[in-house]
Amino acid sequence: MSRPIRLRQASSGAFALLLLIAGVTSPPFAGRVSAHGPDPMLSSKLFGQDQAVSFRWRTGSEPPSAIKTAVKAAAAGIAASRRSRAATFPYASAGGSLIGYGAGATCGVNGIACFTRSAPTSFTMWLREQGRVFDWGTLRWCQMYTTAPTGCYDAETIALDEFGHVEGLGHHLNFGDDTDYLDAVVQTYSRTKAKSGWNEHALGRCDVATLQREYDVPSSATGISTCLHLDTIATLGATATAVVYGGTVGFTAGLRIAGDADYGRLANNALSGRTVKLQQRAVGTTTWSTVATMTVGTASGTYVASVKLLSSSEFRALYSASSTEGLNGDASPVLSVLVASCAGAPCLLPSPR
Amino acid sequence: MPAGMSRKTRSLAVGLVALSGALVTATVAGGAERPWEPPPCTRQVAPSTTSAGTWWRLDPRLRAGWLVGQRLTLGSGRDGRRTFVDLPAEAFAAGPFGGVVLVGSDDGDHSVLSLIDVPGGCATPIGASDDVIRRATLDTDGGTVLEFRVDRATRTDLGLFRRPLAADGSPERLLGPLDPDARFGPTWTTELQWSTDGRTLAMQSCGAVSCRTRIVDPAAGMVSQTVDPAHGDIVGLTEERLVVHGACGGTPCPLISVDLRDGSRTTLAEAAGQAVIATGPSDRSVVVYEQVDGARLRSIDVDGVPVGEVDRLIPNGLGLVPGAGRAGSAAELDPGVVVLGPGGRMPLEGPLTPVLWRLSDGALLPFEEVLP
Repeated sequence: MSRPIRLRQASSGAFALLLLIAGVTSPPFAGRVSAHGPDPMLSSKLFGQDQAVSFRWRTGSEPPSAIKTAVKAAAAGIAASRRSRAATFPYASAGGSLIGYGAGATCGVNGIACFTRSAPTSFTMWLREQGRVFDWGTLRWCQMYTTAPTGCYDAETIALDEFGHVEGLGHHLNFGDDTDYLDAVVQTYSRTKAKSGWNEHALGRCDVATLQREYDVPSSATGISTCLHLDTIATLGATATAVVYGGTVGFTAGLRIAGDADYGRLANNALSGRTVKLQQRAVGTTTWSTVATMTVGTASGTYVASVKLLSSSEFRALYSASSTEGLNGDASPVLSVLVASCAGAPCLLPSPR
Repeated sequence: MPAGMSRKTRSLAVGLVALSGALVTATVAGGAERPWEPPPCTRQVAPSTTSAGTWWRLDPRLRAGWLVGQRLTLGSGRDGRRTFVDLPAEAFAAGPFGGVVLVGSDDGDHSVLSLIDVPGGCATPIGASDDVIRRATLDTDGGTVLEFRVDRATRTDLGLFRRPLAADGSPERLLGPLDPDARFGPTWTTELQWSTDGRTLAMQSCGAVSCRTRIVDPAAGMVSQTVDPAHGDIVGLTEERLVVHGACGGTPCPLISVDLRDGSRTTLAEAAGQAVIATGPSDRSVVVYEQVDGARLRSIDVDGVPVGEVDRLIPNGLGLVPGAGRAGSAAELDPGVVVLGPGGRMPLEGPLTPVLWRLSDGALLPFEEVLP
């Protein structure tokens, strides 16, 4: 809730009171919002997974060719960098969504571009015209120049931002010093040439994080955005929990994302293609040693290894967090395998402890 | 020239007549179409009380994608007459105020304000400045113009100025510049909008996404200000409430109603399209807005109490025409109606014509039907 604060007396003396209604910052977005993390979501519906939402140019408001090229490149950039099953935006002459330039942008008064989204059916996007005058000065699109001048906006970056909104992304919440600006293209303030990030042509990791969470990943081997910090669950099973001396035990590990409700569509996803190690220790000891890097199993998110056993041992599967993706490490519960210590035949298996 | 002008004012007016040439003699567009050149008004332009149906629409004129000017189309629903004038790239329109459209144009050296009497078919210059007049409006009696200016060289905010139309005197500054605030960034647009009772003026300054609103009561000298980065552009102002979009950069977007007495906020809709304030049944101020899918109009009391909430299917191809800042067009309407236009704007041409939605009974009426 906002609260009234008495501010100051106007210098002209004409106004006795200046009442400041200072609002607590509360962006109009639904879902989790953190100081630094995945982009927040806009509070409305999503498009379908991998839905191709085709667009065409708005009759009478077609962009100039340089801007068209930039918008198409941005659409391709979304497809290439989404790392998720978010919608794609191919151009088609009969596309159902309209992108316009200049006149008729009723989606907002400020900014250099805006959008409307009617998920899951269509969207509109507008880019303001080259030369539009704002209070601060005149809009310049870099693409409209042979040599882009300092202070111009990159239309591809801006269109990428707008496509991000169309997907459902809200503006990324940066640190106060903006040191994480490059983590997202969907930004409240777009940068002009030649400030860092002015011509980003791929989604940032925190854009991707939200798309992965909301739309899921295309496969269990897809890397999870480092903007996420998801818990994982490792499991371990064995073909036997007791073997004769020298017997071989097959181990199968499972690795998946935890089932946290905040993980959206990523919850409980199997994780393939990761490095899962099988570790062993002697019964009664505390030090683990890696006996195998498990290989890919037949089922999604499974890893296998076989070990010849000479003594009773404990095993676990270990997934260590990687700096290249946003998954926390996990170790499976310990699995004990007993080995019969027989001096002669027949060798009797001891009872499990 | 109005009587009672000083020598200085008369001198200015002569210059304005010359400058106003830029307003009406710009390029010929599209071959046969020629811009209208409204003759000077022979008597003082004054808002009429019977001019519902006057409308305007401002569109960029582009050449190979570059803005070369703006075209102001003026219309009157009463007789279907439509004409246009060509303006420089930096130009705006406000109103209509009783059939009068206030036009600002800047040629790079001077800003000029003119009043176009649409039913009367004439225009008159009313002021000029070496500063850039970015926006202006007439007060409710049509006797005073309020101007928002920026510095020509630096584009910094100079504040809001008041200029009496008929009397002698220099413009008086009512509000100083807005203090910089990193949460809002540089100001992109400033819009002026009167409250529904015409007593207070919202002066809203928007950064790239979020907006600050200062509310001026020229008569009482009171100012209030809302500073909340969650606020986007203005929907409307009543005596007690400011209604804004959320800071979304697009739609759908929440609609937020702020109680100006205590600053408390009410979310009127979580995901809305275009929205306006209108007079609903029992003369209550209501917010009319498009639902998230753009297929239905709904209305809700401005304070968020869902009394008398109604909804209606929007005819195919039409959209609610929002405020002038968004729509780049505006129509003068009788109380109790909102206008729906193709693409949410007043139309230039084409098969779709605007219609009015009468809130009292939900009827859809041709745009011309409710005219006096």
